[in-house]
Amino acid sequence: MKDADLKALTGLCAKCGTCRTVCTLYPERKTEIAVARGKIALIEAAMRGEDGDAEGVQEALTDCLLCGRCERACPNQVLVEEIVMKGRADLAEEVGIPAWKRVLFGKVMPSPAATGIARKAAAAGQRLLPGKIPTASGLHYRFPDGLGGKGRTVPKLPGKGFLESLGKAEAAAGEVMLFVGCVFDHVFPGVGRAAYETVKASGKSVAVFRDAACCGLPAMVSGDRRSAAECAEANVRRLRAAEPGAIVFPCGSCLLMFKRNVFSLLPKGTPGYDDATYVAERAVDYASFLLSSGVLDRIPDPPSGQNVGEIGYHDPCHLSGTLGKGPEAREALSRAVGPAFAEMAGADLCCGYGGTFNVRDYPTSSRIGETKVTVAARGGTKVISTACSGCVLQMRDMAARTDPALRVVHIAELVHQALFRK
Amino acid sequence: MHADALSALGNLFGDRLRTSLETRICYSFDATRKTFLPDAVVYPVSAEEVRQTVLLANRHRFPVVPRGAGTGFSGGSLPVRGGVVLSTERMDRIVSIDTENLYAVVEPGVVTETLKAAARERGLFYPPDPASLKFSTIGGNIAECSGGMSAVKYGVTRDYVLGLEAVLGTGELLRTGVATAKGVVGYDLTRMLVGSEGTLGIVTRATLRLLPHPEAAVTVLALFRTNRDASGAVNAVVAAKVTPSAMEIMDRTAIDCVRAVAKVPLPAGTGSALLFEVDGTADSTAREADRVEEACRAHGALEVRRASDMKGRDELWKLRRAISPTLLQLGAVKLNEDIVVPRSRLADMFDFLADLSGRSDVRIVNFGHAGDGNIHVNIMISGADEDETRRAEEAVAEVFRKTVAMGGTISGEHGVGISKAPFLEMEVGPLGVAVMKRLKECFDPNGILNPGKIFLDEAAVRG
Ligand SMILES: Cc1cc2nc3c(=O)[nH]c(=O)nc-3n(C[C@H](O)[C@H](O)[C@H](O)COP(=O)(O)OP(=O)(O)OC[C@H]3O[C@@H](n4cnc5c(N)ncnc54)[C@H](O)[C@@H]3O)c2cc1C
Ligand code: SF4
Ligand code: SF4
Ligand code: SF4
Repeated sequence: MKDADLKALTGLCAKCGTCRTVCTLYPERKTEIAVARGKIALIEAAMRGEDGDAEGVQEALTDCLLCGRCERACPNQVLVEEIVMKGRADLAEEVGIPAWKRVLFGKVMPSPAATGIARKAAAAGQRLLPGKIPTASGLHYRFPDGLGGKGRTVPKLPGKGFLESLGKAEAAAGEVMLFVGCVFDHVFPGVGRAAYETVKASGKSVAVFRDAACCGLPAMVSGDRRSAAECAEANVRRLRAAEPGAIVFPCGSCLLMFKRNVFSLLPKGTPGYDDATYVAERAVDYASFLLSSGVLDRIPDPPSGQNVGEIGYHDPCHLSGTLGKGPEAREALSRAVGPAFAEMAGADLCCGYGGTFNVRDYPTSSRIGETKVTVAARGGTKVISTACSGCVLQMRDMAARTDPALRVVHIAELVHQALFRK
Repeated sequence: MHADALSALGNLFGDRLRTSLETRICYSFDATRKTFLPDAVVYPVSAEEVRQTVLLANRHRFPVVPRGAGTGFSGGSLPVRGGVVLSTERMDRIVSIDTENLYAVVEPGVVTETLKAAARERGLFYPPDPASLKFSTIGGNIAECSGGMSAVKYGVTRDYVLGLEAVLGTGELLRTGVATAKGVVGYDLTRMLVGSEGTLGIVTRATLRLLPHPEAAVTVLALFRTNRDASGAVNAVVAAKVTPSAMEIMDRTAIDCVRAVAKVPLPAGTGSALLFEVDGTADSTAREADRVEEACRAHGALEVRRASDMKGRDELWKLRRAISPTLLQLGAVKLNEDIVVPRSRLADMFDFLADLSGRSDVRIVNFGHAGDGNIHVNIMISGADEDETRRAEEAVAEVFRKTVAMGGTISGEHGVGISKAPFLEMEVGPLGVAVMKRLKECFDPNGILNPGKIFLDEAAVRG
């Protein structure tokens, strides 16, 4: 790890300890190695040449949800997420990344066709799983405890993805581009559909980005910067070629990728930089688009007096925190559901998903997540709405584990319901 | 460390003993940003485990360094001679809060704010408020006798410690103090332990005094042309028999520093600022705030702002809170001192610091707790220029000499640790040092607890 940028980034850390107070992981681990300050110290030590065991450092850097809470609390504005991701990348070069991740990031994710095939294979395989659980959010299968973590449930995968359900010529070109993201395409096509139809309600012509490679975030956070950069470059090239006026993202994590992270993969001077800038300037979150495009004005007056305060909003770390888009979602939601929306207890607690963290340490991820939904439910919330694919995946699993009556939805589903209410 | 010692610790702690280089690196630093690697880290959950650790340390002769959150500014929790860092992070229970007799019993790893919030929920008040209250621990606060903004009215940590349970360097478990408002039996061993920086005993439990929570608070920000005007206002407020719960000062260097990065609108010519807070009942705070305002205007305040609601008060505190974080933008290394002078000498000290900054050609940023005469003197340097570093170090020594000459003290909050060890004798004299060393012998005859601190240890100071 000899990276001048990294040194400049870590040099601002005053070792004050503020990050300990907000870290999602710290209450679980109760050790300094879990928090930003410790991880930064490890990277600094490695840069001084004190790294005895690169795998140990890699392990420590991997043990993080990249929720960014530390970064937002840090008085010195230390870019923790960037430091951790850079550190992971440098280490991945040194010790490599696990083989399964290499295949996934290198072969499957950059190709839109391959992800579709992967879903079909998974959907077929899923039928072999025992233990169906009907939940308010849809059917879930319970994983056998031996595989993938005790008590894990997975949503029933649909036979058809959202994109697949669109006619060939449908939504091929338009002034607004919808970036559905892989989860809302393949796992929850209903969300993809709701987002599409509500965006269309703006009266603008809407195209759906069909040539999407994976956004690259999973590869990036695992330290596989090459695969991530390939995905990112392909995406921004194709997006720019479509010349959209705005690009709408129903998923906060995807949005973060194109608003911010992409620049660390395609920095100034690289071929993709101009395309990335073009895309970043036009990328907007779903709720902001609703507010600015007049969609919400078309909603008939929301019903009053029904289910008062039962719908809450969960702040996706990256969308509300890093990108500061919390008020927009709330505003959109109140306009759509009226007094049924109320601020939810623990709204800004991280759901514990953290992308690959959920795979690597399911028990911890689910403890954090169970706390999240339990706090909300205890506060009277019956429907948790949000705007990030990871959060939807995680909280549906957590609801299935703790309280099958708890619903977890994307705000697009609520807006859709309100718009097209009979 | 000897393999036998490590295996004995392994038997005691299981997976709560960590010896990987990665974990050791994470316990090698504190907010001084100096680093010393420990040989191992342990996470006890009970006083008995702490006791067993110290007994093993006596048998195998390894140092034990207690550590709370590692936010100290004087290197207190750095394992300068290796050994075991004993982290209190997992001894973090609030054992009880007695709402009738107004005290709390807590484990040392409780974060200060957690206790303040728990007391608040019951209408009670734990006043100590170091700026690090969100992350520093009660154990660390006790060991450093931390103070904060409200020290001017409410005193410091020492004033709230009624009794302690601590493991001495011998491995004996000592209980000191009382759980009553009064108690005068024998020597005050509680006070002996408070501020002893983990060198006499490891606090495993504390009984802390609570007060009823004040009903209301008002914040007043007053902006002045010079430090002299502001210092005059501080003394006038005191003379007007008002005891604010905070009285903070920022000099021109600190204001410039905040201005450079944060947008806080200030009138032209602002060269000094005072921030007051008064608390009590709604009536009394309004009256006291009036008097504070009068005193400030009488001493040439350019502008006075005032707020009594949460949001408005937060807005006024912004200026003060923005300082510390913005400092690192001025230089990679900050020599952070926390001298105290008699309140009446504040203006003289500020003049001296301005002059010193010019003479030694180093940037000095000053702010602090004016009410206590406590000034945070921050010398900002690049760390890359040897001559600059030497000039800065000489400036620090000069500040200390001047402080002692004015009848002040070289540390109001941060403790001696390793940073101020070279200057200990300058303040307490040779007999003072000798008596302190004798006391250390009595609590910790084998020098197990936090060696290399307070008393000069050349190797440790150099880092
Ligand atoms: C941003 C910032 C602001 C700060 N503001 C203030 C302020 O306003 N006022 C102030 O006084 N200080 C301040 N400090 C300094 C620091 O926070 C305090 O000294 C604090 O009390 C240290 O607590 P800690 O838990 O981090 O202890 P540590 O740094 O871990 O340890 C401090 C000392 O206590 C000893 N110790 C820790 N736990 C125990 C125990 N259970 N038994 C015996 N010894 C123990 C250690 O050995 C060490 O000598 C600030 C620090 C930062 C980073
Ligand atoms: S809050 Fe920021 S400056 Fe403080 S220790 Fe954490 S990363 Fe470093
Ligand atoms: S990103 Fe989240 S989990 Fe990772 S260190 Fe920061 S606060 Fe903790
Ligand atoms: S899925 Fe959302 S809330 Fe959960 S870790 Fe990711 S951004 Fe944070």
